[in-house]
Amino acid sequence: MGNWERLVWNQRELLLSGLGVTIEICLLAFVGAIIGGLLLCLVRLYVAPLRPVAILLIEFFRATPIFVQLMWVNYVWPEVLGWPNTFFTAGWVALALQSSGYLAETFRTGIEAVPKGHREAAASTGMPQLLIFRRIVMPQALLTAAPSLVNQFTVIVKSSTLVSVITVPDLMFQSQKIVNIWYEPIEVLTATAGIYIAFIFLISQAGKLVSDWLRRTFGLQG
Amino acid sequence: MNEAPCIRVVDVHKQFGPLEVLKGVSFDVHRASVVSMIGASGSGKSTLLRCINYLEVPSAGAIYIEGESLGFREDGSGRRSTRPLREINRMRRDLGVVFQQFNLWPHMTVLGNIIEAPIRVLGLPRKDALERADECLRTVRLSDKANEYPARLSGGQQQRAAIARALAMRPKVMLFDEPTSSLDPELTDEVLNVMRELARAGTTMIVVTHEMDFAREVSDRVLFLHDGLIDEEGSPEQVFTAPRSERCRQFLAKYLK
Repeated sequence: MGNWERLVWNQRELLLSGLGVTIEICLLAFVGAIIGGLLLCLVRLYVAPLRPVAILLIEFFRATPIFVQLMWVNYVWPEVLGWPNTFFTAGWVALALQSSGYLAETFRTGIEAVPKGHREAAASTGMPQLLIFRRIVMPQALLTAAPSLVNQFTVIVKSSTLVSVITVPDLMFQSQKIVNIWYEPIEVLTATAGIYIAFIFLISQAGKLVSDWLRRTFGLQG
Repeated sequence: MNEAPCIRVVDVHKQFGPLEVLKGVSFDVHRASVVSMIGASGSGKSTLLRCINYLEVPSAGAIYIEGESLGFREDGSGRRSTRPLREINRMRRDLGVVFQQFNLWPHMTVLGNIIEAPIRVLGLPRKDALERADECLRTVRLSDKANEYPARLSGGQQQRAAIARALAMRPKVMLFDEPTSSLDPELTDEVLNVMRELARAGTTMIVVTHEMDFAREVSDRVLFLHDGLIDEEGSPEQVFTAPRSERCRQFLAKYLK
């Protein structure tokens, strides 16, 4: 047990700070992905002249490996756009881009799943189109999308381990740092894997609760 | 009768691509009267009902609500211009619709469904909307389910909630599109009873239905549609006991033993 104490317990501050960075970067990426995904989806569905652009972006984000995306945002964007200026920002932006491609499709499915009759019932009261979208269509689409949203968060957490390669000090980065000091990988990497498993397990359990609640309360299939 | 009909349908045609579903239908609905539309599936009766509030835009013809055309404006010299959607929406408030599939909004409670349009469309204060909702829920005898989500209700309860939602707009006319067709047989009566009471209370109603006993009992006028045209029209007495049209006779023979 001596090794565990020396390599894991005594390094807990480093590991916890890494976990903090991981959580922070994942949350930023998640929020960014939701906003980006919504925008892409709305443009694709309702802004006809820009539809091809939206489709191109969605397919591009979805089809590029996260590692390539990360390198691209980190090394190409600053040259071309002058932004992002930190590795941390590049990290969450790259994660957000990829997930926004997937979420755009999730939201689209949610919007298209709202039965036509629900819109007609609203229209028959004289409700204008924009209000129908805001009050009747969008809330249902978001509820339908909720379980997939949670699922996408677990994908972000898993992908986030790659930001360590652009030196963002996340959990994976700190764990490798400890390995590189003593060259004793067994305990540290096992503990790190354990932390990721626990984190992701918690999220997916929360997702299950959400979809059960949706089915029970609203009769919506997530 | 001197007063203008509540609803006047004039030579309405509706075409879906090459298919002509309505081939020129005209009729009037007077205030506080009940008009039933019967006919085989595909005869055009649901399409006709949907044309009355422009959920389907007629290909030709006109719908007048208390003398005002729904689709176009007429200026003093009789020149017509298309009515903007904003104005059509204002006129739609006067027409409550009850759908075959209920179409309650699943993310809102029954109460939420009922007060949504009065608050957002009519601009009623929440307190007034709640009072209206209370009254409408009593009419459909669903006060105890106000805070349930639609998914928790039976089909009959959902349809009654949908009727309450339509009533909360205080429409001049209620349009029913096969309101009991997707209900289990044992649940149709609770919906039909509510509709009977509405009719008795003087609600102007247009009802597309396959419930012949109900149509016969409640209607002031019955229209039999066939192939996009009104094939038989008259009092329930006349249509059900002495139809002039052979097709109507055959149709009724299948329903009335």
